[in-house]
Amino acid sequence: MDWLEDELRRALARQDPPDGFAERVLARSARGASGARRWLAAAAMVVVAAGAGGAWRQHQGNEAKQEVMLALRLASAPVHRIQSEVRGMTQ
Amino acid sequence: MLIGAVETGCDFRVLVRQHQAMVFSIALHFLRDRATSEEVAQEVFFSLHRNLHQIESPAHAAAWLRKVAVQRAIDEGRRRSRRPQVALEDVAEPAAGGKPGDPLLSDLLRKLVATLPEAPRMVMVLRYQEDLEPAEIAAALEMPVATVKSHLQRSLAMLRGKLARRGIGESGWTG
Repeated sequence: MDWLEDELRRALARQDPPDGFAERVLARSARGASGARRWLAAAAMVVVAAGAGGAWRQHQGNEAKQEVMLALRLASAPVHRIQSEVRGMTQ
Repeated sequence: MLIGAVETGCDFRVLVRQHQAMVFSIALHFLRDRATSEEVAQEVFFSLHRNLHQIESPAHAAAWLRKVAVQRAIDEGRRRSRRPQVALEDVAEPAAGGKPGDPLLSDLLRKLVATLPEAPRMVMVLRYQEDLEPAEIAAALEMPVATVKSHLQRSLAMLRGKLARRGIGESGWTG
Protein backbone atom coordinates (compact mmCIF):
# COMPACT_ATOMS: atom_id res chain seq x y z
CA MET A 1 0.00 0.00 0.00
CA ASP A 2 1.22 3.48 -0.96
CA TRP A 3 2.21 5.72 2.03
CA LEU A 4 0.07 8.58 0.73
CA GLU A 5 -3.00 6.35 0.49
CA ASP A 6 -2.37 5.19 4.07
CA GLU A 7 -2.17 8.82 5.19
CA LEU A 8 -5.35 9.68 3.28
CA ARG A 9 -7.21 6.81 4.98
CA ARG A 10 -6.06 8.14 8.33
CA ALA A 11 -6.92 11.77 7.43
CA LEU A 12 -10.35 10.93 6.00
CA ALA A 13 -11.37 8.35 8.61
CA ARG A 14 -14.99 8.54 9.73
CA GLN A 15 -15.68 10.96 12.58
CA ASP A 16 -18.54 10.88 15.02
CA PRO A 17 -21.06 13.72 14.75
CA PRO A 18 -21.43 16.16 17.68
CA ASP A 19 -22.92 14.77 20.93
CA GLY A 20 -26.68 14.32 20.88
CA PHE A 21 -26.87 14.15 17.09
CA ALA A 22 -28.97 10.95 17.00
CA GLU A 23 -31.36 12.34 19.63
CA ARG A 24 -31.80 15.56 17.65
CA VAL A 25 -32.50 13.57 14.46
CA LEU A 26 -35.06 11.35 16.19
CA ALA A 27 -36.78 14.32 17.84
CA ARG A 28 -36.93 16.26 14.57
CA SER A 29 -38.26 13.24 12.68
CA ALA A 30 -40.96 12.72 15.32
CA ARG A 31 -41.90 16.43 15.10
CA GLY A 32 -41.98 16.19 11.32
CA ALA A 33 -44.27 13.15 11.38
CA SER A 34 -46.73 14.72 13.84
CA GLY A 35 -46.58 17.97 11.85
CA ALA A 36 -47.50 16.08 8.69
CA ARG A 37 -50.41 14.43 10.49
CA ARG A 38 -51.62 17.86 11.70
CA TRP A 39 -51.48 19.22 8.14
CA LEU A 40 -53.43 16.20 6.89
CA ALA A 41 -56.10 16.69 9.57
CA ALA A 42 -56.33 20.42 8.77
CA ALA A 43 -56.67 19.68 5.04
CA ALA A 44 -59.44 17.14 5.75
CA MET A 45 -61.27 19.74 7.87
CA VAL A 46 -61.04 22.30 5.08
CA VAL A 47 -62.51 19.79 2.59
CA VAL A 48 -65.37 18.89 4.95
CA ALA A 49 -66.07 22.57 5.72
CA ALA A 50 -66.07 23.41 2.01
CA GLY A 51 -68.51 20.54 1.33
CA ALA A 52 -70.77 21.55 4.20
CA GLY A 53 -70.72 25.17 3.05
CA GLY A 54 -71.76 24.11 -0.45
CA ALA A 55 -74.66 22.02 0.89
CA TRP A 56 -75.83 24.90 3.14
CA ARG A 57 -75.74 27.34 0.22
CA GLN A 58 -77.81 24.90 -1.91
CA HIS A 59 -80.32 24.49 0.93
CA GLN A 60 -80.66 28.28 1.28
CA GLY A 61 -81.11 28.62 -2.48
CA ASN A 62 -83.95 26.06 -2.48
CA GLU A 63 -85.69 27.84 0.38
CA ALA A 64 -85.44 31.21 -1.37
CA LYS A 65 -86.79 29.67 -4.57
CA GLN A 66 -89.80 28.21 -2.72
CA GLU A 67 -90.50 31.58 -1.07
CA VAL A 68 -90.46 33.36 -4.44
CA MET A 69 -92.82 30.75 -5.95
CA LEU A 70 -95.22 31.14 -3.01
CA ALA A 71 -95.16 34.94 -3.38
CA LEU A 72 -95.90 34.63 -7.09
CA ARG A 73 -98.81 32.27 -6.40
CA LEU A 74 -100.24 34.65 -3.76
CA ALA A 75 -99.84 37.63 -6.06
CA SER A 76 -101.44 35.88 -9.02
CA ALA A 77 -104.64 34.88 -7.09
CA PRO A 78 -106.22 38.41 -7.03
CA VAL A 79 -105.25 38.93 -10.66
CA HIS A 80 -107.09 35.74 -11.63
CA ARG A 81 -110.14 36.86 -9.64
CA ILE A 82 -110.18 40.27 -11.34
CA GLN A 83 -109.74 38.67 -14.75
CA SER A 84 -112.75 36.35 -14.22
CA GLU A 85 -114.89 39.29 -12.94
CA VAL A 86 -113.97 41.35 -16.04
CA ARG A 87 -114.75 38.33 -18.24
CA GLY A 88 -118.22 37.99 -16.52
CA MET A 89 -119.05 41.68 -17.05
CA THR A 90 -118.16 41.63 -20.70
CA GLN A 91 -120.30 38.55 -21.33
CA MET B 1 -40.99 5.58 14.42
CA LEU B 2 -40.78 1.89 13.65
CA ILE B 3 -42.33 2.31 10.21
CA GLY B 4 -41.22 -0.51 7.96
CA ALA B 5 -39.27 -2.20 10.75
CA VAL B 6 -41.38 -5.35 10.77
CA GLU B 7 -41.25 -5.88 7.01
CA THR B 8 -37.60 -5.01 6.35
CA GLY B 9 -35.77 -5.26 9.65
CA CYS B 10 -35.00 -1.52 9.32
CA ASP B 11 -35.56 0.27 12.61
CA PHE B 12 -35.08 4.01 12.06
CA ARG B 13 -33.42 4.52 15.46
CA VAL B 14 -30.96 1.72 14.76
CA LEU B 15 -30.20 3.07 11.27
CA VAL B 16 -29.48 6.55 12.66
CA ARG B 17 -27.09 5.24 15.31
CA GLN B 18 -25.44 2.78 12.89
CA HIS B 19 -24.81 5.22 10.05
CA GLN B 20 -24.52 8.65 11.68
CA ALA B 21 -20.70 8.67 11.47
CA MET B 22 -20.74 7.66 7.78
CA VAL B 23 -23.31 10.29 6.77
CA PHE B 24 -21.80 13.08 8.90
CA SER B 25 -18.23 12.33 7.73
CA ILE B 26 -19.12 12.34 4.03
CA ALA B 27 -20.50 15.86 4.50
CA LEU B 28 -17.65 16.94 6.79
CA HIS B 29 -14.81 15.76 4.54
CA PHE B 30 -16.49 17.28 1.51
CA LEU B 31 -17.58 20.60 3.06
CA ARG B 32 -15.04 20.99 5.92
CA ASP B 33 -17.60 22.68 8.17
CA ARG B 34 -18.92 20.82 11.21
CA ALA B 35 -22.10 22.87 11.73
CA THR B 36 -23.15 22.69 8.08
CA SER B 37 -22.25 19.00 7.96
CA GLU B 38 -24.51 18.30 10.92
CA GLU B 39 -27.36 20.12 9.18
CA VAL B 40 -26.75 18.13 5.99
CA ALA B 41 -26.61 14.85 7.94
CA GLN B 42 -29.88 15.70 9.74
CA GLU B 43 -31.54 16.42 6.39
CA VAL B 44 -30.32 13.06 5.05
CA PHE B 45 -31.81 11.13 7.99
CA PHE B 46 -35.01 13.19 7.89
CA SER B 47 -35.30 12.22 4.23
CA LEU B 48 -34.73 8.55 5.14
CA HIS B 49 -37.53 8.82 7.71
CA ARG B 50 -39.92 10.06 5.01
CA ASN B 51 -38.84 7.31 2.60
CA LEU B 52 -38.47 4.41 5.00
CA HIS B 53 -41.27 2.51 3.25
CA GLN B 54 -39.01 2.25 0.15
CA ILE B 55 -36.12 0.65 2.04
CA GLU B 56 -35.89 -3.09 1.44
CA SER B 57 -33.07 -4.17 3.75
CA PRO B 58 -30.37 -2.80 6.10
CA ALA B 59 -27.83 -3.03 3.23
CA HIS B 60 -30.20 -1.07 0.99
CA ALA B 61 -30.54 1.54 3.76
CA ALA B 62 -26.74 1.93 3.98
CA ALA B 63 -26.36 2.37 0.21
CA TRP B 64 -29.36 4.74 0.12
CA LEU B 65 -27.94 6.87 2.94
CA ARG B 66 -24.52 7.03 1.28
CA LYS B 67 -25.97 8.12 -2.04
CA VAL B 68 -28.27 10.75 -0.51
CA ALA B 69 -25.47 12.05 1.74
CA VAL B 70 -23.23 12.44 -1.33
CA GLN B 71 -25.93 14.31 -3.24
CA ARG B 72 -26.89 16.59 -0.34
CA ALA B 73 -23.23 17.41 0.37
CA ILE B 74 -22.64 18.26 -3.30
CA ASP B 75 -25.81 20.42 -3.36
CA GLU B 76 -24.68 22.26 -0.23
CA GLY B 77 -21.21 22.70 -1.71
CA ARG B 78 -22.76 24.29 -4.81
CA ARG B 79 -24.84 26.65 -2.66
CA ARG B 80 -21.69 27.66 -0.79
CA SER B 81 -19.64 28.01 -3.96
CA ARG B 82 -20.89 31.59 -4.30
CA ARG B 83 -19.20 32.37 -1.01
CA PRO B 84 -15.40 32.75 -0.68
CA GLN B 85 -13.57 29.42 -0.67
CA VAL B 86 -10.27 28.37 0.86
CA ALA B 87 -7.67 28.68 -1.87
CA LEU B 88 -4.72 26.33 -2.01
CA GLU B 89 -2.41 29.27 -1.33
CA ASP B 90 -4.30 29.91 1.94
CA VAL B 91 -3.63 26.39 3.24
CA ALA B 92 -1.11 26.94 6.02
CA GLU B 93 2.08 24.95 6.22
CA PRO B 94 2.06 22.47 9.10
CA ALA B 95 3.73 24.16 12.09
CA ALA B 96 5.64 21.01 12.86
CA GLY B 97 5.68 17.34 11.99
CA GLY B 98 4.77 16.16 8.48
CA LYS B 99 5.82 12.65 9.47
CA PRO B 100 3.62 9.70 8.52
CA GLY B 101 0.78 9.33 11.03
CA ASP B 102 1.24 12.90 12.27
CA PRO B 103 -2.08 14.65 13.08
CA LEU B 104 -0.73 17.81 11.42
CA LEU B 105 -0.07 15.88 8.22
CA SER B 106 -3.64 14.52 8.39
CA ASP B 107 -4.96 18.04 8.79
CA LEU B 108 -2.87 19.28 5.87
CA LEU B 109 -4.16 16.42 3.70
CA ARG B 110 -7.77 17.22 4.59
CA LYS B 111 -7.16 20.85 3.65
CA LEU B 112 -5.51 19.88 0.37
CA VAL B 113 -8.36 17.50 -0.48
CA ALA B 114 -10.78 20.38 0.22
CA THR B 115 -9.10 22.41 -2.55
CA LEU B 116 -9.94 19.77 -5.18
CA PRO B 117 -12.84 20.42 -7.56
CA GLU B 118 -16.22 18.92 -6.65
CA ALA B 119 -16.11 15.58 -8.49
CA PRO B 120 -12.53 14.48 -7.65
CA ARG B 121 -13.04 15.65 -4.05
CA MET B 122 -16.07 13.40 -3.59
CA VAL B 123 -14.26 10.55 -5.34
CA MET B 124 -11.40 10.88 -2.84
CA VAL B 125 -13.81 10.99 0.13
CA LEU B 126 -15.60 7.82 -1.02
CA ARG B 127 -12.32 6.05 -1.81
CA TYR B 128 -10.45 6.85 1.40
CA GLN B 129 -13.23 7.40 3.93
CA GLU B 130 -15.60 4.69 2.78
CA ASP B 131 -12.97 2.42 1.22
CA LEU B 132 -15.15 1.95 -1.87
CA GLU B 133 -13.80 0.39 -5.06
CA PRO B 134 -13.82 2.55 -8.23
CA ALA B 135 -16.83 0.63 -9.59
CA GLU B 136 -18.81 1.32 -6.40
CA ILE B 137 -17.82 5.00 -6.50
CA ALA B 138 -18.87 5.15 -10.16
CA ALA B 139 -22.29 3.74 -9.23
CA ALA B 140 -22.73 6.14 -6.31
CA LEU B 141 -21.75 9.20 -8.36
CA GLU B 142 -23.32 8.00 -11.61
CA MET B 143 -20.11 8.48 -13.62
CA PRO B 144 -18.00 6.09 -15.71
CA VAL B 145 -15.46 3.91 -13.87
CA ALA B 146 -12.70 5.27 -16.13
CA THR B 147 -13.54 8.82 -14.95
CA VAL B 148 -13.34 7.72 -11.31
CA LYS B 149 -9.92 6.13 -11.90
CA SER B 150 -8.72 9.22 -13.71
CA HIS B 151 -9.85 11.49 -10.83
CA LEU B 152 -8.06 9.25 -8.34
CA GLN B 153 -4.79 9.21 -10.29
CA ARG B 154 -4.77 12.96 -10.93
CA SER B 155 -5.71 13.82 -7.35
CA LEU B 156 -3.00 11.57 -5.90
CA ALA B 157 -0.43 13.05 -8.29
CA MET B 158 -1.51 16.58 -7.33
CA LEU B 159 -1.30 15.79 -3.60
CA ARG B 160 2.12 14.16 -4.01
CA GLY B 161 3.35 17.26 -5.84
CA LYS B 162 1.98 19.68 -3.23
CA LEU B 163 3.44 17.64 -0.38
CA ALA B 164 6.81 17.33 -2.13
CA ARG B 165 6.92 21.11 -2.53
CA ARG B 166 6.41 21.35 1.24
CA GLY B 167 9.24 18.86 1.71
CA ILE B 168 6.95 16.03 2.78
CA GLY B 169 7.56 12.56 1.39
CA GLU B 170 7.36 8.91 2.37
CA SER B 171 9.81 9.33 5.24
CA GLY B 172 8.28 12.57 6.58
CA TRP B 173 10.20 15.83 6.09
CA THR B 174 12.69 15.50 3.28
CA GLY B 175 13.55 19.17 3.00
